[in-house]
Amino acid sequence: MPSRARHKGGKGTPILGRITPDEFVGRRDALAQLVKLGSSDSSERGLLLLSAPSVGVSELLRQAYDELFRERGDVVPIYFALNRSDKTAVGTADQFLRTFLLQLVAFRRHDPGLADASLSIADLLQLAAPGDYEWVERLLEMTERARVDEDARTFIRLCLSAPQRSFAGGARPFVLLDGLELAEHLNGVDVPLGTEIAQALFHSGGPYVLAGLRRHLLGAVHNARNGNDSAGSLRLDRLSDDDARAMVEHVARRAEITINDQTRDLIVQQTAGNPMFITALLRAAQERHIALTSFRNCQQLYVDELMGGRIHRHFTSLLEEIAPSSSVRRSLVRVLYEAAHGDGGKTMVETWRKRLNLEPESFQKITRQLHVHELASLDANFIEAGKGALVWSDYLSARYRLEVGAEPRALVVADMLTETLKRAPHTMARHYRRETALGLRELLERFNCQRIPASLFHYDRFSKTHKGTETDELMAALDAETDLVRLPQVVHAASCAAFHPPIQQVCDTERCAVAHGFDAGQYADANEIVWIAAEIDSKLEAGRGITEVWCDRLMQVARVCGFNKVRLWLVAPEGFSPDASELLKERDAYGSSRQQLELLTERINVASAAMARLEVAPDEFEMVIPMGDDTELIAAHTVEQIARRISFRPEAINQIKTALVEACINATEHSLSPDRKIYQRFRVESDRLVITVSSRGVVPASLASQNGDAPEGNDLTEGTKEARGWGLKLIRTLMDEVEFERVDDGTRLRMTKYLRKD
Amino acid sequence: MAEPSILSQVRSRSDGNMAVIYAADYLNKLSGERIERECRRQLEAGCRALIICFRETELVNSIGISILLGVINVVENAGARLIFSDVNQQTIQLFEMLGLTRHVALAKDEREALTTLVEFAPPPKAVGH
Repeated sequence: MPSRARHKGGKGTPILGRITPDEFVGRRDALAQLVKLGSSDSSERGLLLLSAPSVGVSELLRQAYDELFRERGDVVPIYFALNRSDKTAVGTADQFLRTFLLQLVAFRRHDPGLADASLSIADLLQLAAPGDYEWVERLLEMTERARVDEDARTFIRLCLSAPQRSFAGGARPFVLLDGLELAEHLNGVDVPLGTEIAQALFHSGGPYVLAGLRRHLLGAVHNARNGNDSAGSLRLDRLSDDDARAMVEHVARRAEITINDQTRDLIVQQTAGNPMFITALLRAAQERHIALTSFRNCQQLYVDELMGGRIHRHFTSLLEEIAPSSSVRRSLVRVLYEAAHGDGGKTMVETWRKRLNLEPESFQKITRQLHVHELASLDANFIEAGKGALVWSDYLSARYRLEVGAEPRALVVADMLTETLKRAPHTMARHYRRETALGLRELLERFNCQRIPASLFHYDRFSKTHKGTETDELMAALDAETDLVRLPQVVHAASCAAFHPPIQQVCDTERCAVAHGFDAGQYADANEIVWIAAEIDSKLEAGRGITEVWCDRLMQVARVCGFNKVRLWLVAPEGFSPDASELLKERDAYGSSRQQLELLTERINVASAAMARLEVAPDEFEMVIPMGDDTELIAAHTVEQIARRISFRPEAINQIKTALVEACINATEHSLSPDRKIYQRFRVESDRLVITVSSRGVVPASLASQNGDAPEGNDLTEGTKEARGWGLKLIRTLMDEVEFERVDDGTRLRMTKYLRKD
Repeated sequence: MAEPSILSQVRSRSDGNMAVIYAADYLNKLSGERIERECRRQLEAGCRALIICFRETELVNSIGISILLGVINVVENAGARLIFSDVNQQTIQLFEMLGLTRHVALAKDEREALTTLVEFAPPPKAVGH
């Protein structure tokens, strides 16, 4: 029996992990979610881990394995990764069974050293726990029989049945399966291994994680699922800049590489925080004893990695996997490079096929792989070369020049080095600009019908009335402002470049955003609106010239994209000159300074916090009443009791009761409610009572339009004898604040009454 | 004066060509329509002056008020006189908001209302003296 290092699995010592838990950065939440899946109180049994390429999903799963192993809970962790060296489905299934049994034995015997040992089948059977022995022996006998009979399908299914059999035998295996996309390439038998694996885990009875590339995994499990499984999903994207910086520091410290802040940041930016590329670069530095203390050293190492290091091998093997034939691969490199460096945009798939001169079936296979690995994006009949990742772009460029251009290697290396060195300051400058961007897209995303002082969108007004005032005074003035802008409810926000790529020539991606939404949160054609916002570079107040240029640019975007109703919003750090403000007024555009934007953000934060409080307020009463039969009286009596508790005066209590009665009548009369119920919340605050009345069903446009505004005509004091339909108007008169809104499936009326002590 | 009538589930009493109709504790669609029906009945019976007494009314809603507007019209068209009595302060506030007080007189209580109406619709003289 093999002897294993006994120190493995000690607290903080990796078992399958390649780094210690302390060094594992940036994925704490994801790790916790994975581990929680193994607990008996987890509400979910399965998880699909949808990963961007090379973002460290394997290490995450290994860390989860280690933690589950150390926890010694009631699940037996099993980690299995498909890899590129697997050639056949039978071989992979066999490996799965061996890994399963090995890790089961390791866990049962509390021996982490066994988890990645190399044991024979006979060893495994000998080491199996008494409770497992029977089913393990039987399963091994059956797989052996299938192997002798050369019944590949049965063999694969038997191997993959190990989790289900162990579950039936009393164990609770938690399979963490990595790299499902690689199952597509396995041959030798007419069995879709990915689907078989997914099905085996769905039926295993224990918890499981299926991890794979995000563009592949959902499709792969779709067939296997057959509507019977309801696994959750977790998306794993690139590391944040902060986490990537921490990772570079950890790896450099472990490898004893000297590094400084500048080179650390360059590595992070150049690799886009990709853990695999970061590790590759730092390992190369360690092996070659290179101190990463200058851009020159960094870029030399980077170019070496691209030309012949781990990064080179990664992309080379990926291309070999996608296009095994060398001639096709060469053509593919040409097509990918020329598409990425051409005029950009999408190309007809057929054009690529003709250029590659492939049969439809082979071509489809290749484009699908390119898509899955995010080297291209396939969308129905169009394909677009992936330009996002700088490392891939550099690799492709080098490969194209060497293979297609047949340029001398020394020339390519020299050019790459000089280019990447020249590029480094720009890469960093781009990063700094991105770091200091105001985050327009993120802010627009949070627009949700909040009411904001109008002066925050009109620099001239703001400048005239608020500039130079003390913070407290400014806040009070904004609070007192009666001219309010009601923000739309934004349902989608993205970089402007995503809609209109040419804008990138004049503006960084994160400095211009497009947001689609609805005014007043009402999903109707008439309320549909698109906000286009841009951040202008200007050290002083932006002048009329630059403001005009930007207004024209954004209108051009609107025209090209076919946006009908548009709101332009420009943000200049120091605001706008009087001329520019005049122009904004002429164009009916908004203009804000950085200070206004910060105040706006703060107001939205406060509004969001208030919304959150609404959801979870502790001093809150809830009541549901059926519509009709004077049930509004029950509501009125209830609110009377609540209002008395906070010492409202009798007159105010009567006003509140009447308002609530009117709200209930409105709900009953107008909603065509399917459940005929009125949902009420009474939230008590120190100085107010907030009542929310909601009901399901429809609301007539005439009623919705009354929100905050008087209906045309019927003035309460006009003395008209037509009082019907005045309920909402009456409510607004009786209460201090009234907000009527359409919600997903009905309406909600929020009424506030303030306590007046005098 | 005659004993209060409960025939139409709204309490009322009549005295010659005057009638007092008592509103319920909650003036809504149903109780408003009952008042309206009783008013029509009294007018058809020859009443020339009506009092609607809100002594027991604690809560009113806009539908109830809209029906009162209809009552005011009916009484006006019949050439009769109408007074609301015993209206509490909160209800007066609502009536004012909705413009009712421009079309109907208010009296502090039933007695004041009767006094006012006697001037408008004096009781019929006894025949045969």
